Amino acid sequence: METMFGLFLSRYLNIGVEGQEAVTTVTPGQYILIEGNDDDNPFVAKLLKLFGDESHKQKKALVQWFLRLSEVPQNKKLLLGRSPHPQEIFYYLGRACDDEINVESILGTVHVRQDSSPVEPNSGFFPCFPIQATPSTPRTPRNATPSIPSRTVPARQPGNILEEARARLHVSSVPESLPCREQEFQDIYNFVESKVMDGTGGCMYISGVPGTGKTATVHEVIRCLQHASDMDEIPMFRFIEINGMKMTDPHQAYVQILQKLTGQKATADHAAALLEKRFSNPAPKKETTVLLVDELDLLWTRKQNVMYNLFDWPTRHHARLVVLTIANTMDLPERIMINRVASRLGLTRMSFQPYSFKQLQQIITSRLNKVKAFEEDAMQLVSRKVAALSGDARRCLDICRRATEICEHSASHPSTAGLVRMSHVMEALDEMFSSSYITAIRCASLQEQLFLRAVIAEFRRLGLEEATFQQVFVQHQALCRVEGLQPISVSEGLAVCQRLGACRLLLLEASRLDVLQRVRLNVSQDDVLYALKADRD
Amino acid sequence: MSKRKVKETHMPVGECISQVQMILRERFCHRRLPEKPVGMESQHKHLLELLRRTAVHGESNSVLIVGPRGSGKTMLLNCVLRELLEVKDVNKNVLPVHLNGLLQTDDRIALKEITRQLNLENVVGDKVFGSFAENLAFLLEALKKGDRSSSRPVLFILDEFDLFAHHKNQTLLYNLLDVSQSAQAPIAVIGLTCRLDVLELLEKRVKSRFSHRQIHLLSSLSFIQYLDNVRSQLSLPQDFPDTKFYDEWNESIKTLCEDQPVVDVLQRHYNSSKDFRSLHLLLMLALSRVSASKPAIKPTDLLEASRVCMVDSKANILHGLSILELCLIIAMKHLNDIYEGEPFNFQMVHNEFKKFLQRKSHSIHNFDKPVVIKAFEHLQQLELIKSMDSSTAKIQKEYQLMKLMLDHSQIMEALQKYPQCPTDVKQWAMSAFG
Repeated sequence: METMFGLFLSRYLNIGVEGQEAVTTVTPGQYILIEGNDDDNPFVAKLLKLFGDESHKQKKALVQWFLRLSEVPQNKKLLLGRSPHPQEIFYYLGRACDDEINVESILGTVHVRQDSSPVEPNSGFFPCFPIQATPSTPRTPRNATPSIPSRTVPARQPGNILEEARARLHVSSVPESLPCREQEFQDIYNFVESKVMDGTGGCMYISGVPGTGKTATVHEVIRCLQHASDMDEIPMFRFIEINGMKMTDPHQAYVQILQKLTGQKATADHAAALLEKRFSNPAPKKETTVLLVDELDLLWTRKQNVMYNLFDWPTRHHARLVVLTIANTMDLPERIMINRVASRLGLTRMSFQPYSFKQLQQIITSRLNKVKAFEEDAMQLVSRKVAALSGDARRCLDICRRATEICEHSASHPSTAGLVRMSHVMEALDEMFSSSYITAIRCASLQEQLFLRAVIAEFRRLGLEEATFQQVFVQHQALCRVEGLQPISVSEGLAVCQRLGACRLLLLEASRLDVLQRVRLNVSQDDVLYALKADRD
Repeated sequence: MSKRKVKETHMPVGECISQVQMILRERFCHRRLPEKPVGMESQHKHLLELLRRTAVHGESNSVLIVGPRGSGKTMLLNCVLRELLEVKDVNKNVLPVHLNGLLQTDDRIALKEITRQLNLENVVGDKVFGSFAENLAFLLEALKKGDRSSSRPVLFILDEFDLFAHHKNQTLLYNLLDVSQSAQAPIAVIGLTCRLDVLELLEKRVKSRFSHRQIHLLSSLSFIQYLDNVRSQLSLPQDFPDTKFYDEWNESIKTLCEDQPVVDVLQRHYNSSKDFRSLHLLLMLALSRVSASKPAIKPTDLLEASRVCMVDSKANILHGLSILELCLIIAMKHLNDIYEGEPFNFQMVHNEFKKFLQRKSHSIHNFDKPVVIKAFEHLQQLELIKSMDSSTAKIQKEYQLMKLMLDHSQIMEALQKYPQCPTDVKQWAMSAFG
């Protein structure tokens, strides 16, 4: 490369080019060659500045680009008004190229002469004529790759026992095998395995309240089946997953399935047609496709054709499609599906029960896996409390995490924290389970509390559960006189009422109704009186 | 030649005052965050620890900050973010994304805003390419490819969180909370809201994925602490250049806060609401009366400011009405008394007014019907009376049912202060049965 163009050497940045022994040095102000798509015709640019980026590991350069004759578009060539020299280069003033480049892409230097006298070919000089390139419109990034930038410093690993426990108790650190779901795992595994081995299709409906491990169990089944397929125990199969909540529209399901199966992008209707063709026609050496549809109830449309297709395709002879659907309600097929859709879904159903307290305790213990961070009765308390309320594993794990945080903060020094005790767990339970209406009433200002009492007094007088602001205001004025306070104006009363309405201690009508807006209580009367009574004592 | 040591700098009074105005106005108009938020130490610690763990350890979290309006939620969050970004490891390592429920009214707009703030690859300049479905898929793909130890944590700050729960299917909330509970790029979802019942708005799937951490900002300030707060808000900071003025000013503030009428005024404000915002409004009004010729805040300033804050909003409107309009209002008041708040129409009011003219009035002229109708319509435009039926059926305007939007006490008070009100009108207003 370098010999071909007759280079000059000077000494500021050393570049070694692969396959060359001599080391080139470039300085700002020189013209350089930059690696491009064409090895024989690299890009030409003028080096403006050399700098390193923040971590000083990556050196970058600021350049002014030039265009070779071959890169100039035809319509601009005609503008020139003369036939240009074959080795001519032109200033590039457009904005489609980044002016900052990595120095690794610099190949070497080149000499450029600004000249209008005729040049002999092969002399190695490039005459340079500035040409105004029109700014090009920014092109739609067709090959944009989705990514979040990376950290400059890696994340810190857990230091002490409590941090370790916290990392293990995070909901996202799913263990290899889920405890307490062995039976369900076996049933789903048998179902999918039999379909894959027979080369047929089928549907299964899995239901259960949130947080009972449905999606996690299915993922575990698929992982084991993949392992078995790698060991050649069962035929190969493909796994794709869609989620009703991660789509903007039910018909996007077709688009996503097509993209995950074949990598093709299409509109919803076209994708539906292509999938129909794919699952109807026999094809040699077709492997079974296992499709997981999460949050099935969001794929509901009025004509229910998305759900119909999803359950109809497995019934085709050559489709070899196994569909596993997950939703929250046990009777979803009876409730929202029309007959033909429900019958195609079939009767293979599985229901995940909420966890009992023993199961929750087992889950926490298996997650902690010999990291001794909790006391026995603290763990029991959490499990019993959560099992009594919802049986949701996520709640349980979050409360345990919060308890470890409280334990760590209450200790004077993080390393002397000790085990998580009942008191920490009770504090975490209080925080995460209590409703704060009572505290909010106690912390309200005096006029706000008087207003609440006026509301209750007016309800008692009317015998109803709602009243207009005007009526309540009359009671409020009376209460002010009783308490010996200065009476407030209507505007101030409206402001007090609005503040209580914003926190939803009261439910109000639209504020354009002014004094005629109706007021209801969002808290029970007993709770309000209890909160106010304790305050006065 | 003796060297004179300059012990203290003296500035002319005018310049001192303009400095004081600038410092205090920055404080009251929320341009500058306080050094340390007052009265919320445990909440500050909780939030700071949480965000520090996300930034340093890559642990995903979600939290809601709940508190009444003006209690300092955004201020707390900004103080915590400021302190967090001072830590060396954190500064270049977090990506904050600010969303507001009032600005991003739809998931589509919210997604475009997130993509733009994160500067993902489908953004060119300021424009985001792709349809709603494509943007969602792109963002989810980007977050999925991330990893706990090597991706930068993203902090999603959702102001007016309750408004996001009204979007269709709560897609954005579901997806953000799902990412915070999966082994993907570490994120922290921080919601700010003033509704105490915000968890009831979330759908069961979204609620299950939320970690139920709530930080409540319910202030239990006593009146003494409130007074201390007022004093510290009005005092100048230590680094004020003119030390003599600094001493004088702080001394005057101290005596101001011990003055009994001022304490009464502050007590009244404290009874009405304990939050920072209304206090700052009051102090701002008092501060605006300070000038070079009057370089201190006097008790009368505070009393006057309080009067401005507490004034009834309709009082001035009532003072600007004509006598005829006032008489119509008094007629409506009598109708309300007799018929216990039932709606009335123009004819009823006119009859009541004519009764007054015949029996009691000496000074009011007997106006023609069109003039009275005009006065009635003016009252309707001022929204002192409002039409009750919103039906499209066209009823003649004299017979449309209306209700009065004024309270008894507002009318009586306006009458007392009305300039040159004829006595027979006053007596008519105060009589029991018209």
